[in-house]
Amino acid sequence: MTRPVLSVRGLRVEFPTRKGVLVAVDDISFDIAEGEVLGVVGESGAGKSMTGSAVIGLIEPPGRIAGGEVRLDGRRIDNLPYEEMRRIRGRRIGMIFQDPLTSLNPLYRIGDQIVETIRAHAPVGEKAARQRAIALLGDVGIQGAEARIDSYPHQFSGGMRQRVVIALALAADPELVIADEPTTALDVSIQAQIIQLLKRLCRERGTAVMLITHDMGVIAETADRVAVMYAGRIAEIGPVRDVVQSPHHPYTKGLMGSIPTLDANAPRLMQIPGAMPRLNAIPKGCAFHPRCMEALGRCWQDRPEPAAIGRSEVACWLTAGAVAGAGR
Amino acid sequence: MSEPPLVDVRGLSRTFDVSKPWLNRVLEGDERRLLKAVQDVSFTIERRETFALVGESGSGKSTVAKMVVGLLQPTDGSVTIDGVDMWKGSAAGDIKALRRRIQMIFQDPYASLNPRWRVGRIIADPIRAFGLAKGKAEIEHRTGELLRLVGLDPLDARKYPHEFSGGQRQRICIARALSSKPQFLVCDEPTSALDVSVQAQILNLMRDLQDQFGLTYLFISHNLAVVRHMAARIGVMYLGRLVEIAPAGALFSAPQHPYSRMLLDAVPDLKMSGRPRKMIEGEIPNPIRPPPGCAFHPRCPLATDQCRSEVPLPLAFQGRTVACHEAGAGRI
Repeated sequence: MTRPVLSVRGLRVEFPTRKGVLVAVDDISFDIAEGEVLGVVGESGAGKSMTGSAVIGLIEPPGRIAGGEVRLDGRRIDNLPYEEMRRIRGRRIGMIFQDPLTSLNPLYRIGDQIVETIRAHAPVGEKAARQRAIALLGDVGIQGAEARIDSYPHQFSGGMRQRVVIALALAADPELVIADEPTTALDVSIQAQIIQLLKRLCRERGTAVMLITHDMGVIAETADRVAVMYAGRIAEIGPVRDVVQSPHHPYTKGLMGSIPTLDANAPRLMQIPGAMPRLNAIPKGCAFHPRCMEALGRCWQDRPEPAAIGRSEVACWLTAGAVAGAGR
Repeated sequence: MSEPPLVDVRGLSRTFDVSKPWLNRVLEGDERRLLKAVQDVSFTIERRETFALVGESGSGKSTVAKMVVGLLQPTDGSVTIDGVDMWKGSAAGDIKALRRRIQMIFQDPYASLNPRWRVGRIIADPIRAFGLAKGKAEIEHRTGELLRLVGLDPLDARKYPHEFSGGQRQRICIARALSSKPQFLVCDEPTSALDVSVQAQILNLMRDLQDQFGLTYLFISHNLAVVRHMAARIGVMYLGRLVEIAPAGALFSAPQHPYSRMLLDAVPDLKMSGRPRKMIEGEIPNPIRPPPGCAFHPRCPLATDQCRSEVPLPLAFQGRTVACHEAGAGRI
C-alpha cells in the first residue's frame, strides 16, 4: 500500500477551563489515501470540526493538541512552528468552509484573491497566475470566467460563491482538501451540483479530501470511506457502503434509522433516546452507553477501542464480543 | 357527504415593496420595485390531514405560512379556516375564537422562547390569554400535563429555556402550541435546526400528538425526505407559485412537473442504488425580476416558446394539480 497523504494517530484536543479540562477530540486515528474522500460525520458536538481544525493547526487557544500526531505525506505537521504551518495551509492543504461569504474577502475582486493565492505559493508571474485563475474558474463551472474574474463576491449567488471558494482551495494544487460542511448553507438543487463538482475535481487531481458534514446523504454520495464520530471519538470507520448499509455500532444503526427516506413510508422513525452528552459530562466507559439499547455491564466501565470487523473498525464491546465469540 | 376541508386557501398573493426610499427614487430615477413573494396560491387541507409545502429558499413557503396563521395580511386572495375568513368579512369574535384553534411552531427553538421567562410561564401564556383555566393550581396542573405530553418533566416548568438542548426547546415550543387546545398547527421548518437523531424524536412526537388529538398540520420544509415521511399531500413551490400539488406517494413515484422531478433527483441517495439522476442546471432566478412566462423555463429541459411567454395555470390532472404547459404530454 502506498503511503497515505494524511495520517492521524491518537489525536487528542483539550480545552483547559476553570472547571477542569474538556476533551473535545479523544484519541482518534485515521488515514486518507491519495484521491480518496474520507467523510467525517456526526451530530453537533461530536468533535468533527475540531478534528479538521486540529489537522490544519487552527485550534483557537486555549484549546490545544494534547497528544498524538498528524502526518502529511509522512512528515509530522502538528508540532511545526506557526510560520511553517502557515506555508503548508493553502499550499499543501486547501480549505473549504460552510459559509462562502465569510471565506471570501468582500473588498477584493475574486480574480485578485485567486491570483494572490496562486502567487503566494508558486513562483509564477501576474499574467500566468491570472491565466491559471481563469482556467480554475472554468474548471469549477463558472461560465464566462474571463468576464467574471473581475467581479466582487457579492455579485455571485451562494452556489457560485461556493464554486469560487473551491477554486481558491484548489488554486495551489494541494495534496489534501479539508471541506467543513461545504454544502450546508446551500439549497438542495445547488448542493447536488457542488458535491459532484468537488468529487470530480479531486478525483481528476488525485487530491485527498476530508469531508466534514452532519448529512449522511452527502457522505453516501461523495465519500469512499466514512468515520462516524460520537462525543469526540470515532465510533465506526469503514468503506461508505458497509457503514451506510450494514452498520455495526449501535449509534451508527440508530443514526441511519432516524433519517427519513424517500421510499419507505414507515409510520415511525427509529429514535435514539436522549442527546449527545456535553463535553463536561462525557460518561465513563463507552460514551454512548446511556443511550444504547443493548449496553452491557462492561460498557459502563471500560472504554471500547476500535477493532476490525470485516473492512471496518468499530469501537463497541458488543461487536468486540461477537468477534471474540466467533473466534473461540 | 364528507366534511368540508378545514383550511381553504384561494388565490393567495402577497407583494412586498422593496423600493429604495422616495427621495432616492426621485433623485436616481429608479422605478418602484415590487417583490411578488407569493402569487395565486390555492390549496385545501382536510381535517386531521398533514399537508406539506416544500421548496427552496425564496420560494415563498414561509410567507404562505404567515398569511395562513394570520401574522401577515395577504395582498389578494383569502384564507378560510372552518368557514371563517381570516382576513375579510368575519366578526371579530369569530376571528378571536379561530385564533385559539391555530398555533404555530417555528424553525429556531432558540429564538422563539423568551429567555427571561420560566418554561412554566411560557407554556401557560396562551392558557391565560384565552382564559382556558382559572386559578394558579389549575394552570400549574395543566402546564405539568403538557410537559409530560411532550416528554419532559413537570418540574422543568421552573427552569429557563437556556437550560435545555435544542430538541428539548422544540418540545417546549410544541407544548406551548398545544396549550390552547388547537386543531390546526402550522409548522415552519420545525426540525431544520436539529440534529438527525433529535429530528427523529420530534417528528415521531408530532405524529403521536396528531393521532392523539386529531390535529391538522400545515408542514413546511425544504427537506423532501422529511416531508415524505410526514405528509399525506404535498405542494411544491417555486418562486412564489405552487407548481404541483399531489398525494405524497404519487409525487414521489411519478412527479409531473419538471421542477418536482428535479428536486427529487437532487436528494442524495442513501440507498446507494446508483439510480440515474439528471444533473440540475442553473440557479433560482432573482424574484424581483422573475423570468417571463413560466418562472422555471430557464432551467427546464422541456421549455418551449409557449413556456417563455405564457404563465401556465394550475390544472387538475390525474388526482393532482400541475402548473405546466407540458404536463400530460408524456415528456416528463
